[in-house]
Amino acid sequence: MRCWEIFRFEIAYQSRRVSTWLYFAVLVTLTYYVSRQIYIDNARRDGYFFNAPFVIAVMTFLGSMMGLLSATQLAGDAAARDVQTRMDPLFYTTPVGKTAYLRGRFLAAFILYAVILLAVPLGLLLAAVVPGPEAELIGPFRPAAYLGAYLSLALPNAFVATAFLFSIAVLSRRAMASYLGGLLLFSVVAFSRGFVAGTLEWWELAKLLDPFGMTVLGELSRGWTPVEKSTRLIGLQGSLLSNRILWIGIALGVLALTQLRFRMAHHTAGARRMDKTLSGGPLPHGRVPVPSRAGKQATFGFATHARQMLAVARESFQEIAMSWGGLVLAGIAALAAVSATQIEHMGVPLFATAERITAFLAAPLTSPQEFFGMMVPLFILIHAGELVWREREARLSEIIGAAPIPEWVCFLGKFVGLGLVLGALQAVMTAAGILVQVFLGHFDFEIGLYARILFGLQLPDYLLFALLALVVHVVVNHKYAGHLVVVIAYAFMAFGPALGVGHNLLVYGSDPGWSYSDIRGFEPFIAPWLWFKFYWAAWALLLAVAATLLWVSGRDADLGSRLALARRRFTRRAAGLATAAVALILTLGSFLFYNTNVLNQYRTASDGLAWRAEYERRYGQYKGIRQPELTGANLRVEIYPDRREAEIRGTFHLVNTGPDAIDSVHLAIKPAVHTMAVRFDRPVRNVLSDEEFGHRIYALETSLQPGELLQLHFEVHFKPRGFSNRGMDASVVANGTYFTNDAWLPAIGYQADRELRSAGDRRKYRLSARPETPLLDDVEARHGAGWAARIAFEAVVGTGEGQVAVAPGRLRRSWTLGRRRYFHYATDVPIRNHYAFFSAAYAVHEARWNDTSIEIFHHPAHAWNVDRMVRSVQASLDYYTQQFGPYPHGQLRFVEQPGDGVSLHASPVNISYEEGFSLLNPGADQRDIDLPFAVVAHEVAHQWWGATLTPAPVEGAAVLTESLAWYSGMQVVERTLGREHLRRLVGMMWQVYATPRTRAAVPLLRASDSFLAYRKGPFAMYALREYAGVGQVNAALRRLIERHGSGTPPLATTQDLYRELKAAIPQPLHYLLADLFEANTFWELATQRVSAKQTGTGAWQVTLDVRARKVVVDTAGVETEVPMDDLIEVGVFAEGKSGEPGEPLYLQMHRLRSGEHRITVMVASEPARAGIDPRNLLIDVEGDDNVREITRSGGQTR
Amino acid sequence: MEIQIRNLSKTYANGVHALKDVTLTIPRGMFGLLGPNGAGKSTLMRMIATLQEPDQGSIRFGDIDVLRQKEKVRETLGYLPQEFGVYPKVTGAQLLEHFAVLKGITNRRSRREIVDALLHQTNLYEVRNKKLGGYSGGMRQRFGVAVALLGDPKLIIVDEPTAGLDPAERVRFLNLLSELGEDAVVILSTHIVDDVSELCSRLAIISKGTILLEAEPLQAVAAMRGRIWQRVIEKTGLDEIRRAHSVISTKLLAGRTVVRVHSTTAPGAGFEPVEPDLEDVYFSTMTGHYR
Repeated sequence: MRCWEIFRFEIAYQSRRVSTWLYFAVLVTLTYYVSRQIYIDNARRDGYFFNAPFVIAVMTFLGSMMGLLSATQLAGDAAARDVQTRMDPLFYTTPVGKTAYLRGRFLAAFILYAVILLAVPLGLLLAAVVPGPEAELIGPFRPAAYLGAYLSLALPNAFVATAFLFSIAVLSRRAMASYLGGLLLFSVVAFSRGFVAGTLEWWELAKLLDPFGMTVLGELSRGWTPVEKSTRLIGLQGSLLSNRILWIGIALGVLALTQLRFRMAHHTAGARRMDKTLSGGPLPHGRVPVPSRAGKQATFGFATHARQMLAVARESFQEIAMSWGGLVLAGIAALAAVSATQIEHMGVPLFATAERITAFLAAPLTSPQEFFGMMVPLFILIHAGELVWREREARLSEIIGAAPIPEWVCFLGKFVGLGLVLGALQAVMTAAGILVQVFLGHFDFEIGLYARILFGLQLPDYLLFALLALVVHVVVNHKYAGHLVVVIAYAFMAFGPALGVGHNLLVYGSDPGWSYSDIRGFEPFIAPWLWFKFYWAAWALLLAVAATLLWVSGRDADLGSRLALARRRFTRRAAGLATAAVALILTLGSFLFYNTNVLNQYRTASDGLAWRAEYERRYGQYKGIRQPELTGANLRVEIYPDRREAEIRGTFHLVNTGPDAIDSVHLAIKPAVHTMAVRFDRPVRNVLSDEEFGHRIYALETSLQPGELLQLHFEVHFKPRGFSNRGMDASVVANGTYFTNDAWLPAIGYQADRELRSAGDRRKYRLSARPETPLLDDVEARHGAGWAARIAFEAVVGTGEGQVAVAPGRLRRSWTLGRRRYFHYATDVPIRNHYAFFSAAYAVHEARWNDTSIEIFHHPAHAWNVDRMVRSVQASLDYYTQQFGPYPHGQLRFVEQPGDGVSLHASPVNISYEEGFSLLNPGADQRDIDLPFAVVAHEVAHQWWGATLTPAPVEGAAVLTESLAWYSGMQVVERTLGREHLRRLVGMMWQVYATPRTRAAVPLLRASDSFLAYRKGPFAMYALREYAGVGQVNAALRRLIERHGSGTPPLATTQDLYRELKAAIPQPLHYLLADLFEANTFWELATQRVSAKQTGTGAWQVTLDVRARKVVVDTAGVETEVPMDDLIEVGVFAEGKSGEPGEPLYLQMHRLRSGEHRITVMVASEPARAGIDPRNLLIDVEGDDNVREITRSGGQTR
Repeated sequence: MEIQIRNLSKTYANGVHALKDVTLTIPRGMFGLLGPNGAGKSTLMRMIATLQEPDQGSIRFGDIDVLRQKEKVRETLGYLPQEFGVYPKVTGAQLLEHFAVLKGITNRRSRREIVDALLHQTNLYEVRNKKLGGYSGGMRQRFGVAVALLGDPKLIIVDEPTAGLDPAERVRFLNLLSELGEDAVVILSTHIVDDVSELCSRLAIISKGTILLEAEPLQAVAAMRGRIWQRVIEKTGLDEIRRAHSVISTKLLAGRTVVRVHSTTAPGAGFEPVEPDLEDVYFSTMTGHYR
């Protein structure tokens, strides 16, 4: 009964507060807005319903995260309000009893939060009902989906969160603690999903660790097909159930502990340590000299105000840094350090350069999806609120208000104090980063880089946000509503672009972005970044003036008197500052606008899509019309690194390869450059010049007869003017220039690759439906011109002194003219029309393989892997020329390009790699896998698979390039580094199965996505090699190149590969070939039990109980079991060194049918483990249950 | 230097009419502001202390316009609010130094001296390095006094300062105040009549937002002479007397009730004339019999 009264009063109390309903309203709005903005597009793209049960579940989860702020308020208030309002003696002396008191309050907070979370289904229903999305995006209304998500996600989350936050606040007797608890909960969720699951790939642990179930949903999101997302209900199944049970259990435990520890008693802070003298003496008797008589001590004026401001700043700093806040900061830094030690790529550690470490530490303020991207803004938000409310909560505001300090001193002091805390955070982060570098054995610290990134670039963002948070709290003048407004402002800053407000002039604090590269440095991004920051600093100044005008000194005041006071405070100085700020905003804003919208085109993402759609609408009619074919390009390229400009004059040699005359030439010009007038070597008429959509048509006065030649002269200028909203085009920079012909040079004919591809986008822009990739049996695509055609390439490239320019072909000559260096390149053998130009102050490492020269152009400081790369190139050339055919060029180059990625790109002769690849440190890889060696072998293989054999641009093309390149690279690894090394490499590639993913997919023959091309394809080829023998497989590949390697139509498809493989491998294995390539087959192989006993002869008899099954999964995720009568490898292994699998004692193919079987084999020495398909040759998602440790049976002893 | 308050009015958003056209002059020396709880004392004090805005009216302190030149006022203001807290995790000396800076005492050496002297004077020197969270109520009150005295204030406003003090401490505190009153305007708001009668050279009585009386205590008492009558009765007779006379106060004495009434003529049997005191002035004023 008493518990009920406590509960009733609390519910009534909170429901009378505006903020409670404000949260509800905000949550409805946010849910509605987010689901409309994000999930309509997602649904359109991925092909599930916009109101699919899965979407409802994800939004319910998101709602419980967004609602966390209200939960901290409700729980903190319910737990600590009595103590903070000093009502506790009245409550504690009633005969309620602590159990009823705590339960009533907790239940009320929980129920209120649960009610607020009802906003999510409400918002979702609204989103589904309000017209807008296409009818086919909206699935049937299923109450069970809403109910299930609410019961399995929202309610348990509310319970866990409330229990946790309530307990913290009760035990610490401070509502503030529940905010920190909220921060902690939030980080645990983000940490589980982002780091434990995302980075470490420990999904099982992460699913349990995550108190809100985000990781479970993350797994489903990857593992479910669109059909499943649309139809399956989220309930308490599988890992969600165990997660819920675990966390509700923990929550109950926490509550029980709280009840045990809580005392309904007066709390004396540190009473035990208090000194007895603290009772103090009374005021002295009689007259005492009043010190203030001693003369004028106080001085006033600017100097004093500055001192006072610093005193406030110091006090604010100490308050945050010496309290919980300091701990949180240290925690953030420690977590950052721990995560930064994990810098790696596919498990290969990276050299801990300052560039890498800072990239880890300096997550952008507005990237809440990144762990630290969320922590710091939350920290700022909470402490800004605390600082603004500090005096009033300590009930000191009247005394301070009566002190002779202007409002700006208070405001600025608090801002500087918070700024100092953030500066301290950056200092601690720097120290943490350097510690990580020491820990990882990298002693080139580059402290200057830390300073520039953490203090020069990141701190200003923090400061701008801190100022905004302070201003909001001052203006709103209600703590919780203030928090809410700051959160909304932050959400706008983070998601504004996603919600359609993408211009940096409109989103507080935003900028076009920057990136740092060892080669390129910060340029050219800093100038636009700075201009935008100045602009936002001017806004910040204006906001700060507003805040000082509305500053509440002394007591809470109503809006009317605050406005009246503001008018009075609006002195000439304030007016001057405000005017200056407005003038700055207008001046800088106009300058920025001039750059982003006048000098450059302002385009949103959807503008880009609309551009593509309109291009297709206008010029799609020219798709497939006969055009002359490019056979040669002669270029004169002038790169001016210092001016960040380039000019290209060139001649294209065209020929009519078709049977009919051609009367007009269509020329696609590129938006990144300015293309000047084009000349032909015969009279033409410029029929159309659509510069906006980059299409020109030239009618030939006399048509081009079959076999006839045509020369086209053009000139292209790259002269960026100012900067765009997205910043700078970094193609030409002071050091590290990189651009491709695809991006800059005119191209012949209609450009099909400009078309919108995704079905959803095409529908949205009312374009006719077509497959994303041309179908495998699209015969026309096999005859597509241009794509694979070979050209003779010749170029003279000029660049600044001290730089080396690189282009395809043999370097015929290089010379210096004035202050410029020139390089003359020409190919000896025609190449695909696909090349890039590079210019930087490279160091060149040269080597040879037979008559081929090997050159690595790298940043001088990035020499770690150069020898390794050369060894791999040599081994690769050796193997591929032997197996697949000759390498046509006299040189092979690897050229480093700016960028923090680790990707490489192979084009004929020249293979580019990003800086991140240079940082791979396989020497520190515990697993002993030489990934750079393997990747280089893979890229070299592209000279055959891609440059020589150019597949038709249809489904499966990526199998012919990427899968075959990986397969080839694997052979080189095995041949050079050994069979065991290859096993480790394949094991590493198998890691992809640790990430949950749906089994629904197209067969390999039709594969387009990267998982199939880079992983399943190589696995299939590897399995085939193990089953059929490397000689057979390589012979098939060699024949494929011989037949289709000329680059002339019809171009090769996976069907040609399939035909060659089928011809090469013995008929009994054709079933395997079909399973691997023609269908999306999965083997489900498991060893359930293995036992061994020693026979009288000393040999060992090993018995395996195994289970086998084979299913085919279609693209919708429908599984069909297919009969199995397959050759499966059975293996028995001896004890190995720690971590090693051990020597095989037995490894033979057995024929296995579906079902459970007992297999018995004899081995000569003592076995340790055994299983079926122990090397994971077959596609089996759960590959780790194939082999088991042997349990010794029959009472055998050693 | 005196304070001139003209036509000050304030109505709160919830409709409470806290001050109604208050006009008041407060000269140098101790000034007592008497009134029951909720009379508008604190509102008036906060307005003088620059912390609250009136809807209408003006306040001048010498040649300073208090409402417009807040900072000028604050440079010479010592304010001890009725209720205040402290930062619990900071020591007394630290917080007092902080306030000293905020009051414009930027010279480190003289700040030290002043802070030490004030700590001595308020007898907090021994506990100066203890955290404020551990201070008793009286110690906190004294700490507030120390803050109010920082920076040689010429205008000292103390709002119900003696509420938390024991009798002996109260006396000493009032002594301290009167000493300061020699050279400054000291406004003391209280509902304890004795505080005023012992110290103040002038007083004002405020009720429901209106100044009922503005006078010198001695003159006010003198003006009441011959008009206050007292009778000791049984409790049961009170109602009848209330009907018949202008009762200004009642109090219990040894189980019986002492009634005081206001009358220009002898009120009749049982009543005897008594020498008036300030309390009689206060209660007469409150009941509307004075003036």
